[in-house]
Amino acid sequence: MNNWFKSGSPWIWLSAGGVSISLISVLGLLWLIASRGLSYFWPSELYQFDLTDEYGAKTVVIGEIYDREKIPVSQLAHLDLALDPKQEVLERLLIKTGNRELVSLDFRWLLSHNINKTQTPKDLVVVERRTNGNFYGYIDSVVLDGKKVDQNKLPELLSRVDNFQDQIDDLQKSDIGAINYQLERLRLKTRKYELQNELTAQVKAEIDSEVAILKKDYAKLEQELMGYRSAIARDYIVMRAMDGQLVTINFEHILKVTFNNKLNVLEKTALFFSQITAFLIEDPREANTEGGVFPAIFGTVLMVLLMTVIVSPFGVIAAIYLHEYAGKNAFTKLLRIAVINLAGVPSIVYGVFGLGFFVYMVGGSLDQLFYSENLPSPTFGTPGVLWSALTLAILTLPVVIVSTEEGLSRIPSTMRHGSLALGATKAETLWRIILPIASPAIMTGIILAIARAAGEVAPLMLVGVVKMAPNLPLDANFPFLHLDRKFMHLGFHIYDVGFQSPNVEAARPLVFATALLLVTIIVALNMTAVSIRNKLRERYKMLEH
Amino acid sequence: MDNLQVGRHISGQFNEDLERVINNVMQMGGLVEKQVADALVAVEQSDVALAKKVLSNDYQVNAYEVTIDDECTRIIAKRQPAAGDLRLIMAIVKTIADLERIGDEAEKIAKVALESFSSSQQDLLINLDNLGRRVLEFLQASLDAFTRMDYEAAVKIHQMDDKINREYEALMRQLMTYMMEDPRSIPQVMTVIWSARALERIGDRCQNICEYIIYFVKGKVVRHTTAENMKNL
Amino acid sequence: MISISPKVLVPGAEPTIEKKLDLTNLTPEQIALDINQLNLFYGKKQALNNISMSIPKGQVTAFIGPSGCGKSTLLRSINRMNDLVDDCHITGEINLHGHNIYDKHVDVADLRRKVGMVFQRPNPFPKTIYENVVYGLRIMGENNRRNLDEAAEQSLRSAALWNEVKDRLHESALGLSGGQQQRLVIARAIAIQPEVLLLDEPTSALDPISTLTIEELINDLKKQFTVVIVTHNMQQAARVSDQTAFMYMGDLIEYSDTNTLFTTPLKKKTEDYITGRYG
Repeated sequence: MNNWFKSGSPWIWLSAGGVSISLISVLGLLWLIASRGLSYFWPSELYQFDLTDEYGAKTVVIGEIYDREKIPVSQLAHLDLALDPKQEVLERLLIKTGNRELVSLDFRWLLSHNINKTQTPKDLVVVERRTNGNFYGYIDSVVLDGKKVDQNKLPELLSRVDNFQDQIDDLQKSDIGAINYQLERLRLKTRKYELQNELTAQVKAEIDSEVAILKKDYAKLEQELMGYRSAIARDYIVMRAMDGQLVTINFEHILKVTFNNKLNVLEKTALFFSQITAFLIEDPREANTEGGVFPAIFGTVLMVLLMTVIVSPFGVIAAIYLHEYAGKNAFTKLLRIAVINLAGVPSIVYGVFGLGFFVYMVGGSLDQLFYSENLPSPTFGTPGVLWSALTLAILTLPVVIVSTEEGLSRIPSTMRHGSLALGATKAETLWRIILPIASPAIMTGIILAIARAAGEVAPLMLVGVVKMAPNLPLDANFPFLHLDRKFMHLGFHIYDVGFQSPNVEAARPLVFATALLLVTIIVALNMTAVSIRNKLRERYKMLEH
Repeated sequence: MDNLQVGRHISGQFNEDLERVINNVMQMGGLVEKQVADALVAVEQSDVALAKKVLSNDYQVNAYEVTIDDECTRIIAKRQPAAGDLRLIMAIVKTIADLERIGDEAEKIAKVALESFSSSQQDLLINLDNLGRRVLEFLQASLDAFTRMDYEAAVKIHQMDDKINREYEALMRQLMTYMMEDPRSIPQVMTVIWSARALERIGDRCQNICEYIIYFVKGKVVRHTTAENMKNL
Repeated sequence: MISISPKVLVPGAEPTIEKKLDLTNLTPEQIALDINQLNLFYGKKQALNNISMSIPKGQVTAFIGPSGCGKSTLLRSINRMNDLVDDCHITGEINLHGHNIYDKHVDVADLRRKVGMVFQRPNPFPKTIYENVVYGLRIMGENNRRNLDEAAEQSLRSAALWNEVKDRLHESALGLSGGQQQRLVIARAIAIQPEVLLLDEPTSALDPISTLTIEELINDLKKQFTVVIVTHNMQQAARVSDQTAFMYMGDLIEYSDTNTLFTTPLKKKTEDYITGRYG
C-alpha cells in the first residue's frame, strides 16, 4: 500500500478521475439536451384514447403523448378513485390535444387508470396552423372553391397555398417593407427641414411628390397582396375534432397537414429533418412557442460578430500599449491588475453600465446631435444591437488583453532585435513581425471572448435584446446594417420560452431544442476561430529549440 | 620551470601532457649530455668498450626524439596551443631535432676512439680534449638554461659558441701543421679533424637551443641576427 | 600531390608575408569605425571602461574575452542595440564616417541599416525564405518585384546559400537547418548593403561543419563589408579575423593583429586567457 502510494499512481488515478468526471458531465449534458431537444422534431404517433372518468362519463381524447410520469396514489386521494388497494403508484400521461378554439388548454393530464382503449388510427391527422397551434382530428372534407373534392387533392392544394404564401411574404417583407422604410425616411427628412427652418414650399412639394409616388406604389402592392390573400382563402377543409365537432380551417392558415400514423420510418426521418430546417429558418409564431428561431440565431451571431470586430482591435491595441510602450512601473502594474480584475465583474453590472453609459449617455447625445428629427422617439438612445455588442466588448476586453499580452511576452526578444537590427522602427517591427507571430495568441483571446459573449444573456436584457423583434438588424434597405435596432438572442429566447410563455409545459422541448442550438452555434463559432488559430499557429510555429 | 607556468592551465590534462613532454626533453637532454661526455672520455682514454657503448646507446636518443615529436604533434592536434604554449611546443620540436643531431655527433666522436693511434700521435687527441671540455660545458649550460627557460642565461651563453669557433680554428691550424710535418699521419689527423668538426657542430646546435629559449621567452626569432641586435630585444 | 613551383629558384626571391596594418596609425580612409573613449553604464554599473580603438575597413575584427567582459556590449553599442536596454547610458563617441553615431540627430533606424547585425542564435522570421531576405528592403520601401528578386538572389549567393534554397524560396525559413538559418540571417543582413556587419557569436549555436561554412563565408564577406565579430571561440577568432581585441572586465586589454596576438601577446592577461590559464 505504501509502495503504491509512493509510486505516484494515486495522483495519476486522481487526475484521471477528475478528467473523466468532467468529460462525463459534458457528454451527459450534451446528450440530455440533444435527446430532449431533437425528440421535439420527431413526428410522434397520434393517439386516440377512449376514457371513462370517475363519474362514469365516456369521452374521446386525441393527441400526442408529451410526457409520462408515475405518481404515488396518496397524492390522488382526494379524487376518490376506485383503485386496487395494493397499487401504490399510478401512471399519468401528458397529452397535447391542440385545438385551441375548442378547449381552453391544449395540454391535458390523463390517468392511465381511466383509459379504456388506446388506438392509433391511420387517418388521424395533425394540422399545423399559422395561428391557434395544432389541430388534431380527422379530415371530414376538403372544399375547393365551394365544391367538395377528394382528399387526395390535399397536397396539391397545399403546395399552391405555399406558393402564394411565399409571394405574400416576399411582397410584405421586401417591397412593402422598403416602401415603408422610405416613407419613414421622407417623414424624418421633412421633420429635419422643419427643425432647421428650411422647409420651403419647394422642398415640401418635392417631398410630397415623392411621397405620392411611393403611396401609389404602395396601393398597387397592397392590391396585389389582397389578390393573393383572396386567392388563398378560396379553399378550406373541414375537420372533425375528438368530440365530433366539425371545424372549418381555411387554407390561409394551414402550414402543413400530416398523417403521422401513416408515415414509415423513412418518411418520418424526412419529416424530422424538414422540421429541423423549419425550426432553423422560420420566424417564431404564437409568442415564440411555435415556429422557428431564425431571428434569434441571426441576432446572436450578428451580435457576437459585431462584438468581435469591436473587441479585437481595442484589446490588441491595449495589450500592445501595455506590453510594448508602457513603462515598467507601478502604474502599469496597477493598470494590468485592474484589467485582470475587470474580468471578474458580474456581467449584469456591465449591463447596467451599458444602459447608463452607452444607451442613455452616448446614445442620447447621438440622438440630440444627429437624429433630432426623430425625437422624442429615440434612435440610438434606446437599447440596440450596437450597444449590446459594445457592452459585451467591454465585458470581454480583459480576456483579449490578457491573452494577447501573454502571446506578446512569449515572443523571443531575438525576433524584435532581428527586425530592429535591419533598420526597422519599433512600429514596423510590431506590425510586420510581432503581431503576425502573436496572432495565434490573439485568436485564443478572441475565442475566449466569443465563448463568453455568446453565452451572456443578463446584460443583453438591459441593452438590446427583445422577446420579439419585428425586423432583422441586417436587411436590404440602406444602410443595410441597422445598428440601432433591437434584436433577438437565443439565450434570451430560451429564458423567454421556458419561463415567460403561457404554457411552460408545452414549451419545454422547445427550450431544449433552442439550448442545443445555442450550444451548437457557440461551438461552431469557436471551432471556426480555433481552426483559424491553428492555421496561424502552423504558419508562425516558433523556433522551439 | 617557473617561466613555463605549465601547471597553471585550467585543463589538468593539458598540464600533464606538457609536463610529460618537458620531462622527456630533460631526460633526452641528460642522455645526450652523457653520450657526448662518454664519447669524449672514450677518446681520451682510448676506451674501446665505452666507445662501443656510446654507439649502441644512440638508438635511445633517436627513440626519445620520435616519442617527443609524436607527443608534440598530438598536443597541437588536440589542444591547439596558442601564444606561450605554442612557442614552447615549437621550441621543443626544434630542440629535440638539434639534440638528436648532437647525439649523432657524439656517435661520430666515439668512432675516433675505435681508430688506433700511435703513442706519438696521442697529443693530437689532447688538443681535442680541450675543445671537447668546452663544448660539453656549453651543452650543459644550454640544457640548464632550457630547463629553467632562462632568458638571461641563454643570451649569455649564446656567445660561448664564438670562443668554441675560435678554438676550433686554432685546432685546425695546429692539425694542418701536423699534416704538413708528417704526411704519414694524415689519416689519423683527418680522424681528429672529423671529431673536431663534430664538436664544433655540437656548439652550433647548442647555440640553436639558446635561440629557441629566446624565441620561447620573447617570441622573437633571433637566428641570423647579430649579438648586438639580440641584446637589444 | 602538392607540386612546388620553381619560384624558389628565382634570384632575389623572398618569402611572401601577410601585410600588417599599423592599428595605432591608420589613415582616415582605412578606418571604418573609430571608437573614442567609450564608457557604458548599466544603471550605476560600468560595463565598458574608456574604450578607444579603430576598426579598419574591409577587414575582420574579432572581440574575444571571457563572459561578461563587455565584448558583446561593445558590439551592440556600435549599432545602438543597447538603446533597447532601459537604464543604459553612454559617454564617449563612436565615429562612422567621422560622425558620432550617438549624436542627437542620428536616425537610429538609418544607422542600423548601415551597421547590420547577426545574432547568436539564428533568428529567421516565421516567413518564407524570400520574405526573410527582402525584409530589410521592404522596410526601406522597396517594392519593385524585380529589384527584390535580384537583391534576394545576390544576397543569398553572397551568403553561400543560393544553391541550397533556390528551389524553395517560398517555403518557410523555419524549415532550414541551424547553419542554413544562420546563413539566411546573414543574407538578410547583407541584402540592405550595410557598410559594417556585426556578428555576435554567430556560430555558438551551430555544429562544427556549419561553423566552418560560416567562417569561410566571413572570409568572403570582408571583401565587401567591414566585419566585426564577437566570439567565445578563440580558435575561431584566430582563424577568421585580421585584428583581434582582447577584453577583460570592461577593459580593452590588448588590440593587435591576430597573428601577433595569438603567437606573442604582449599582456600577461591576454596570454593567460588565450592559453587557457587561471587569470
